[in-house]
Amino acid sequence: MFKKKTGQQDVRLHKTGPQVIQELHACIGCNECLLACPALGEPMTIDVLNSETLGGPISRPVAQFARACYQCGACVAPCPVGLHRDAMMMWLKVRLLRSGWGE
Amino acid sequence: MKEPKRSSDFAAGTVDHADIVIVGNGIAGLTAAIEARRLEPEKSVVIVTSQSHPTINTPALKQFATGKLTREQLLAYPAGTERLQRIHVVSAYAEEIHAQEGYLRLAGGQGFGYGALLLATGSRPTGLPSDMPGQDFDGVLTLHRLYDYLDLRRRLNEVEEAVVIGGGPHAIETVMGLLYWGIRVHWLIRSETFMPRMLDRQASDMVLEGARRAGAKVYTETEVLGIVGRVGSVAGVVTTQQQMLPCQLVLVCTGTTPVTTLARTCDLPMKYNRGGILVDDQLRTSARNIYAAGDVAALRDPLTGKYAPRAQWYAAVLQGRAAAAAMTGATDGENFGVSWHATRLGDLSMLTVGNPLAWPEEEVVSLPEKRKGSYCLLSLVDDRLVGYLSLGAAQPDSLAIKRIIDEGLSVRDIQKDLLRGEFDARKYFSGKRTYAARRMITTGQLPTPMPPMPGIRSGQRRASSRPSGPMPAVARAESQKDDTAVRQPAVLPATARVVPQPGDTAARMNAIQRPQPAMVPQRGDTAARMNAVPGPQPGMEAQRGAPTGYSNARPPEKRARAEESEAWVNAPPPVVPQGNPAAAWLNDAPPASPGGLAPRRTEDLPRPATEPLVRPTSNGSRSVTGPRPPVRQADDQRRRIADQKTLISPDASPAPGGRRGAQGTEEIKLVTRSPERQFIAPPGARSSQPEKDSNPHPSRSLWHYTDKHPAVKRQKHV
Repeated sequence: MFKKKTGQQDVRLHKTGPQVIQELHACIGCNECLLACPALGEPMTIDVLNSETLGGPISRPVAQFARACYQCGACVAPCPVGLHRDAMMMWLKVRLLRSGWGE
Repeated sequence: MKEPKRSSDFAAGTVDHADIVIVGNGIAGLTAAIEARRLEPEKSVVIVTSQSHPTINTPALKQFATGKLTREQLLAYPAGTERLQRIHVVSAYAEEIHAQEGYLRLAGGQGFGYGALLLATGSRPTGLPSDMPGQDFDGVLTLHRLYDYLDLRRRLNEVEEAVVIGGGPHAIETVMGLLYWGIRVHWLIRSETFMPRMLDRQASDMVLEGARRAGAKVYTETEVLGIVGRVGSVAGVVTTQQQMLPCQLVLVCTGTTPVTTLARTCDLPMKYNRGGILVDDQLRTSARNIYAAGDVAALRDPLTGKYAPRAQWYAAVLQGRAAAAAMTGATDGENFGVSWHATRLGDLSMLTVGNPLAWPEEEVVSLPEKRKGSYCLLSLVDDRLVGYLSLGAAQPDSLAIKRIIDEGLSVRDIQKDLLRGEFDARKYFSGKRTYAARRMITTGQLPTPMPPMPGIRSGQRRASSRPSGPMPAVARAESQKDDTAVRQPAVLPATARVVPQPGDTAARMNAIQRPQPAMVPQRGDTAARMNAVPGPQPGMEAQRGAPTGYSNARPPEKRARAEESEAWVNAPPPVVPQGNPAAAWLNDAPPASPGGLAPRRTEDLPRPATEPLVRPTSNGSRSVTGPRPPVRQADDQRRRIADQKTLISPDASPAPGGRRGAQGTEEIKLVTRSPERQFIAPPGARSSQPEKDSNPHPSRSLWHYTDKHPAVKRQKHV
């Protein structure tokens, strides 16, 4: 049904900042993305992840999670409101890069 | 009862007073408080609430009911956010509004003065009609608040059969949650189809078929006549089809009603109807300095012209932010766009943008498309999309479709992709950008002039922290926001005491919005913390630089927003600066894998032997190459697999870190360190099924959280 057009288009793994912030505001916090995540090392709550993706200092667990995330996309399909957690994680990585990987 | 305090007391400072007072700590209230704090770091912000717990993610209560979430994970903002943001929370019930003198009367007779008041009192469940026989029996519940769900989880143990009343998304979520616990469910729907105003016949059939397949008994065109009880608790339900359905639990999911009790007490006429308090596009009510947001606010629907509440999470967040901007004078109106509703209906994802069924037949072209397991409906006027409905296993890029409708973009080229559910929003919007670039090359005209404002200190800061040369689109939009934010008024225009004239809101607001001499705000710790904010954060620059006076020009907030969207659409193709990884990430270039790690295919990862086989998930609109990892499965399949597990002996093919792993002592230790992950089932629920109690999600085994996971192991080397 949903045929994958692999190789026909370049992969764009991120969205722009305004889009990511818009999606973060639409997040209902159901935790489905974190339950599906294979890279999540230690338990994390969605409120901390969301608020630190949006702004402010990035704590160590969130930084570790962002580094461990390898953009597999497992978080996107279970989202009940159709948001792209992978894009949010990419945005978090951008923020981490700016601050020297959170170290 | 104590005599309410007079307004002269406020001037003397003997009575509490705050510049911004918010009634209700739902998501609209708290979002407004945080946004107001961001816009006005020096003003006092107070939330008055009678709710005893902090703001929670109310849509996630469904996951809480099925035990996927613990109570701590429900928090909408991290614990302590209010204290961090210097938002004072007053635990009191607000009884009356004295709008003439500008104060609230709290329960107990205490007065609380406000500069601007936001009513975010939310909604309550409608429930059954009050003349319904037996509606007071123990076991007749509405599910709306956290306490309702706690009550439900306590009762699950002794329930074999349940009746769910209602024909909306909340009802089907409740049905699915009960089926998850192995309870037999009778689902009564009043109308002939499911959600008749949002879904058409075919879509409704798909949803109901899914519910039947999951095990629910669906009764359409059936209503409740009365509830039969025995010794005060529910024994059954009598329906209009002359049936008696035995049950121990009746869950009423018949929608919500706005709580307008506080608005009724206002001594100035405040317009409200059954749908809530009427507000304009700045969320102002008809009473001076009083705003409303969230479930209680009835906005004008641009399509029908009627005032109706939008009782959805995203709408409440948007309204909270817009109300804060209006209360601090940072906006002159907000365009909320069309309605947007995305949710999961059983196994299917539903998305409705706009109102695809409300358009008259002769005006729109409706393109329904039904494929195996999915359904899609486009409503088109010429080549513009006006309504979109999608139902299927995967969710399309939902907010992007809202953007297409709101901005009135042509969908001629993507019509087929939209119908198939293969719409790639990133490709589409970046294509928009290349059109702008092509126009720039062929005509020689620059897209939108974006002159830098006479930089205060922001220019210096940017020069030091950002790369020279062409900035990527996002960064440019950000810097523009920074620049435009300088002109933002630093203080809320003081409210002059004028004679209120109900009805003429706009004229009154113009009369009292006087420019004030700007005060120099101190750079507090909030400002310092917010400086690290990456995204467009207007208003923060204003505190750092010397604030200019109030400008009568187009409000900076709105202008910044308009320019940002223009810049985003019209920006030339981004140039990747060499040697700056951060800028490269910002551009549209395919990002290098972080930390030098090659992206691994999920199938390569070792799976525990107990990992069930799942159906492949579909791709939807995503453009990530590689196979999709198994994510979600039908409840019945999950239950079947959970039953099979008992047959697997503990030492047969131990899973790496699985919960039945023979050498898994170390993992067990690891798991016990995180008790909130361990607890999934409600206490005492379904004690006859020990497998379920330990972990009702075989697909989400605790394997994820142990050291054995390759992804977790790898990060140590980074």
